[in-house]
Amino acid sequence: MEARKNCRIGVYICMCGTNIAKIVDVEAVARFVSGLPNVVLARTYKYMCSNPGQEMITQDIKENQLSRVVVAACSPNMHERTFRSALRSAGLNQYLLEMANIREQCSWVHKDTKEATEKAMALVYAAICRVELHDALESMSVDMCPNTLVIGGGIAGMTAALELADAGNSVHLVEKNNHLGGNLARVDLTAPYLYSARDLLTERITRIMDHKKVHVYLESKVTELTGYIGNFKATIRLINGKPSEENKPVEVEIGNVVVSTGYKEFDASRIIHYGYGKLPNVITSFELEKMIRAGRIETKEGKIPRYVAIIHCVGSRSQEFHTYCSRVCCMTALKYASEIKSANPACYISDIYIDMHAFGKGHEDFYRQSSEAKTLFLMYEKDDRPVIHKASPKDDCEMLIEVNEKLSRELIEIPADLVVLMVGMEAREDSHEIARIVNISQDKDGWFIESHPKLEPVATTTDGIFIAGTCVAPKDIPDTVAQARAAAARILARIAKGKIEVDAVYSEVNEEKCSGCRFCNQLCPYSAIEFNEETRHSYIISALCKGCGVCVAACPSSAIKGRHFTDQQILAQVDGLFYEIEDVKQKTLG
Amino acid sequence: MAIRVNPRFIDDLERFGAEDVKMCYQCGDCSTVCPHADDVYKFPRKSMRLLQMGLARKIETTLEPWLCYYCGQCSTQCPREADPGETMMSLRRWLISRYDFTGIARQFFKSRITEVLAIFLIALLTGIFLLYYGFSGGSIHIYDGEGAFLPSPFIHKFDLTVGSILAIFLVINAIRMWYLVMIKGTKFAVPWWLYLKELYQLPWHFFTQKRYSECEKKREHPFFMPWFIHLGLMLGYVTMLVLVMVFVEQLQSGPAIQWSVHIFGYLASIGLIAGTIYFIRNRVKKNYVQYKKSHGTDWVFVILLFLIVLTGITQHVFHRTGLYEWANITYVIHLICVVPWLLRMPFSKWAHLIYRPLAMYLAAIRRDALALQEKLIYSYPINIK
Repeated sequence: MEARKNCRIGVYICMCGTNIAKIVDVEAVARFVSGLPNVVLARTYKYMCSNPGQEMITQDIKENQLSRVVVAACSPNMHERTFRSALRSAGLNQYLLEMANIREQCSWVHKDTKEATEKAMALVYAAICRVELHDALESMSVDMCPNTLVIGGGIAGMTAALELADAGNSVHLVEKNNHLGGNLARVDLTAPYLYSARDLLTERITRIMDHKKVHVYLESKVTELTGYIGNFKATIRLINGKPSEENKPVEVEIGNVVVSTGYKEFDASRIIHYGYGKLPNVITSFELEKMIRAGRIETKEGKIPRYVAIIHCVGSRSQEFHTYCSRVCCMTALKYASEIKSANPACYISDIYIDMHAFGKGHEDFYRQSSEAKTLFLMYEKDDRPVIHKASPKDDCEMLIEVNEKLSRELIEIPADLVVLMVGMEAREDSHEIARIVNISQDKDGWFIESHPKLEPVATTTDGIFIAGTCVAPKDIPDTVAQARAAAARILARIAKGKIEVDAVYSEVNEEKCSGCRFCNQLCPYSAIEFNEETRHSYIISALCKGCGVCVAACPSSAIKGRHFTDQQILAQVDGLFYEIEDVKQKTLG
Repeated sequence: MAIRVNPRFIDDLERFGAEDVKMCYQCGDCSTVCPHADDVYKFPRKSMRLLQMGLARKIETTLEPWLCYYCGQCSTQCPREADPGETMMSLRRWLISRYDFTGIARQFFKSRITEVLAIFLIALLTGIFLLYYGFSGGSIHIYDGEGAFLPSPFIHKFDLTVGSILAIFLVINAIRMWYLVMIKGTKFAVPWWLYLKELYQLPWHFFTQKRYSECEKKREHPFFMPWFIHLGLMLGYVTMLVLVMVFVEQLQSGPAIQWSVHIFGYLASIGLIAGTIYFIRNRVKKNYVQYKKSHGTDWVFVILLFLIVLTGITQHVFHRTGLYEWANITYVIHLICVVPWLLRMPFSKWAHLIYRPLAMYLAAIRRDALALQEKLIYSYPINIK
C-alpha cells in the first residue's frame, strides 16, 4: 500500500473518563503510534470531545501543520460532527478526519487489558492507514423551492398546509375525497373534553378554501414525484376524470412534501365472533357516530336500546389481526358511554375491554366520570374474544354476549340491544402506492416509517419527504396536530435557509467505464440513480444519494466510486487492521 | 353455563348503602390491606366485582361479606373512593334480606317509612294488649304478687312467646343461609365429620369475637376500643336475653334485691349503656371511617336499644323505691320498646349475632373441605379430566 509520504498526522486518544482508560492502556497505544511514519504527534486526553480537547486539536493543527487527524474515541455516530467542526475551525477540510472506535467496539466489550490494548492499537493503526488516503471533499448546496405539496386533507394535512401558507409559502393540498376533513369529519364529539369535531374542522376548512396561498385539489391524487429535496416535480391528476382539455394533469414544482394520508378503520366482519354484518344491531364505532350525528341512537328496528355493549380492541392488539394498540378507541368508547347515557339516562352500558388505556391529558378523569355514570366495565382476555349470540324471545334483550370475565374468572353473558365495535385503525390500502411514489418505506403493518422513532418522528429516510398524523401510526388529534406542525416547522426552517447542504459523501459514476447496464438503477434504495438515454450512461443525483455504497459494490464494471469510501481507503483500513508488529516496525524503519 | 350479568343490581344495592361500588376498577389495593383476606376468601375485591356485575345468585352463596369486620382500611386506601368497607357492610344487609324468607327484611332496608310504621304498629299492639291485660285482671298500684298489673308468670310466658317467634325466624333463616352457602354455593364434597371438627368455632367466635379484634391491628383506635365495647354490648345483650327469658320471675319479685340474679342484670346494663352511648357518639361524630355512613336501620337499632336500656333502668329504680304506679307505667313503655325491637331483629343487622359465628363455622368447614379436595387432586392427578 502506497502511503502519501507528505502527510502529517496527529493522533488523539481519548480516555473517555475511565470508559476507555479502564481497559485500554491508552498511553501504550500513544507510544505505539507515535513511532509510525507520517505520525507527527500522538496525545491522550481525559475527554477529547470537551472544549479543551477540541481546542487542543485545533491548536495542534495550526502549530504543527497537521494535514490529517485520527481521533480514537467513541463511535463516529456520537462525535464525528464534533471533531469535524474542530478541523474546520482550524482551517482544515473536515473530511481529513478518521475516527477509530475504541470504546463501543473495544473497551466496553472486552475484559482483558492486554488484548484490548492490542485491539485498540490495530483499530488506530487501521484508521491511520485509511486517513492517509483521504481526500479533501467539498459539500454542495442546492436551492430550496419554497412550495410544498401536502398529500391528504385531513386534520394533519390541513394543519400543516395552513402553517406553511400563513408563513407566506405556496401549498398544494391534494385530497382524494370531494371534501376536506378526512376521518375527523365522520366524528361527532371528541374525547375527553367533548369538543365538537365539526367546530375544529369548519374553521380550518373555511380558512383553507379562502387562502390565497393554498391550492386545493379535491378528488385528485399525486401520480408521480420526481427530483430531490428542494427541487421536486409532482404530477397531480383527477381521480375519475376523463382526460380532456380542461382535465389535464397538473405539474407543480415543490421543495418538500408532507404525507398525511391518514388511516382507514378495521373491517369488523373479519372477526366472526362478533357477527358483524349478520346481526343487524352489531355496529361499528363509525356507524354509531353517524347515529349520534343524526341525533338518534336506535336499533335497526327503530327502538331505543336499553342495554348497549361496547367492545374494545376490534382488530387491535391481537396476533391474528393487528398487534398494535390503536390508541384512540378506549377514550372514544368512554365518549360513547357518555353520549349514549346523556341521550338516554335509563340505558345500561357495558364496556368490554382488554386494558383501559387512559394515558393522555384528562383521560384518567374521563375514565373516572364514566365509572361515576355507572358504566359497567368488564375485562376479557386478549385471545379469548367475546361471542355475540341472538337472545331468545323470552329474554328482555336482543343479544347476549358471552365472555370469560377476566377479573372475576366467571363465564358471564351480557345483555345487549345494541353492540358497538370499537374498530381499530389500519394503514390505508393504497398506502403502498403513496410509499412508492414519494419513495418512503412502510413497516410490517403498512405504516410509514420515520427516519428515527424518537428523534426524527416526522422526517423520513428520503430527504424532503415528511410524514404526519395517522399514516405514521395510530394517534389522537393532539398528537396528529403536533406532528403536522412539526413537519411544517421543519420545512419552514429549510425554506428560511433558502439552500440545502448536501453531504459530500456520495457516489459518482465514471462515465467512461459505465456500460449502461442499469443494474444500479434498480438497486438504489433512494432512487438516486437515473439513466441518461442520450449518453446511455447512468448518473447519480448527488442530492439524493446517501453514500450507502450498494451501487459501488454492485457495478459489474467498477464504474462507480463512493466518495470518502473508495476501494483504496477501505482496503488500506482492512490491511491496517491485520497488521503484524514486524511489518509495522519495518515500515517504521523504512 | 354462563351467568347472566345484571347491570340493574348495582342500583338495587344503593338502597342497602353501596353507593360507590361503581367506582371500583379492581386494582386490588383493598384486598392487600385487609387483615382477613386470604387465598380462599378473596375480599373485598372479588365481592365488589360480583356486585358490579350483578351476579346476585353468586353473591348470595358467598360468605365473604361476613368475614369482614369493617376496620375501614380498604376504604381509606382505595384510590378511587369506591368505599369497599361500606360495600361489604351493604352486602351484609343485602344477605340478611336474602336469608330472610319473609321478604320483610328487604322492605325494612329499602324503606325507612315501612320500618318505622311496622315498629309503631307492633308497639301499639303490644301497648294495647298489655294495658288491656293489666286493667282487666290487676291494679296499677300493685307491681308484684297478688293482683299485680303485670304479674311475673304472665310476663314470663309473654317473653317466651316473643322469644319463640324470634327463634323460629332466626333458625329458619340460619338454615337458609346454610343451604345457600353449603349446598348451592359449594361445588365440592364436604365430608360430614368436618361439621363436628369445626363445631368449636361457633361458641368460640360467638363469645370472643376474636376475628373482630384482629381488625384492630389496622385501626387507629386506642386499646382495641370498638372490639372491646362491642364485646361488652353483645355480652350484656345476651345476658339480658337469658335473664329475661329464664329468670324474669326472680327479677320482678321484690322489694328485696336478689343479688345472685341482679348482679348479672347490673353488669349487663353497664355493658349495654356504655356500648349504646359509644356507638351513638361515633355515629354522630363520624370520627372513624366505619361510622361515616350510617344506614337508616343502624339508627333505628341504636336509638331503640338506648330507649330500652333507659326505660329498663328507670322502671327498676321506681320498683325498688316503691313508686309502683310509675314502675308499672315505665314497665309498659319498656315492653312497648322491647317487643318491636326483638321482633325486628331477624330482619335487621342485629341478626349478625347468629350469622357471624355461623359464617365463621361454615367458612372453616369449606376451607377444610377445599384443602381435602386439593389433596385428592394432588394425589390422583390422572383421574382429573
